[in-house]
Amino acid sequence: MNARQLCFEDVAVGTAITPLIKRPTTVQLFRFSAMTWNSHKIHFDKPYAQSEGYPDILVQSHLHGSFLVQAVMDWAGPAGRLVGFRWQNRAIGIPGDTLTCTGKVVKTELRDGLGYVECELEERNQKNELCVPAWARVQLPLRAERSK
Amino acid sequence: MSVSFPEIYEQVKAQLGKTRRIPFGVINRRDVERFAFAVDDPNPLFFDDAFARAHGYSSAIAPPLYLSSVLGWESGPPQNSLAPDGNPRGDETALPLGGLRVMGGGQELEFHRPVTAGMEVVIEFSVSNVELKQGRSGPLLVIQLQKKFLTKDGALLVTCRENAVAR
Repeated sequence: MNARQLCFEDVAVGTAITPLIKRPTTVQLFRFSAMTWNSHKIHFDKPYAQSEGYPDILVQSHLHGSFLVQAVMDWAGPAGRLVGFRWQNRAIGIPGDTLTCTGKVVKTELRDGLGYVECELEERNQKNELCVPAWARVQLPLRAERSK
Repeated sequence: MSVSFPEIYEQVKAQLGKTRRIPFGVINRRDVERFAFAVDDPNPLFFDDAFARAHGYSSAIAPPLYLSSVLGWESGPPQNSLAPDGNPRGDETALPLGGLRVMGGGQELEFHRPVTAGMEVVIEFSVSNVELKQGRSGPLLVIQLQKKFLTKDGALLVTCRENAVAR
């Protein structure tokens, strides 16, 4: 977690998000399926996943999305607010993969006295294949407001 | 299984503009925390009321993708109604898809209000568009779905749009 809160004034177009590395395991996939009441065998039954042409069980679409949300929320700090997020699943993730979430600020905007930043995000595997492109809109506190 | 894509296309098209309300139930603190543990995201905003209050919330919040990640909101379906691949036969959306398989591939979300334990949530589900396309491996339907998550008093929490591909 950030000890120090990121503020709107700290970022500009091109500012990088602090990278986050996730290594999903079979146990993690099982618990995520259980929690989301997802009984699709492709996420827990390896022979079934192989019968569908995959090398192993698949990381759930929303678990990939959650990794990127974690990356952007950790970077934005607890006073940041995630107001918009979208992601697309392009390449699969499997247990044992090293999934690296990165991103950068592509737009900053002061509107109605509030500071917003838009970020383009990526999750790539250890072969540098793009698994998930994503986008987030975050409201960050203004330093001017916090010092009052 | 032989399915008639034009027939299913017409059936889904007949759903355009109709809104179904589905009860999600009361947001349960343990479920929200389990979701955060399953993601392996230890953000104290999800666990610590005092920490969340110090940052402008009324109490600990649910991870942003919690509501739109949960695939089933009811107790069932019973085991004998699951398809061989483990999915419910009646898709969560209860669209007349005639046994077609639906793959999720991402979502677009707007977060309007924080989601906290104890809220009673309803989902307004609608189909905003459907297209019949010719894919590399045969015909497919691209269906635009919209889910609005609201409190039972009508306060909008999350808007979720996604494209489902049925083949």
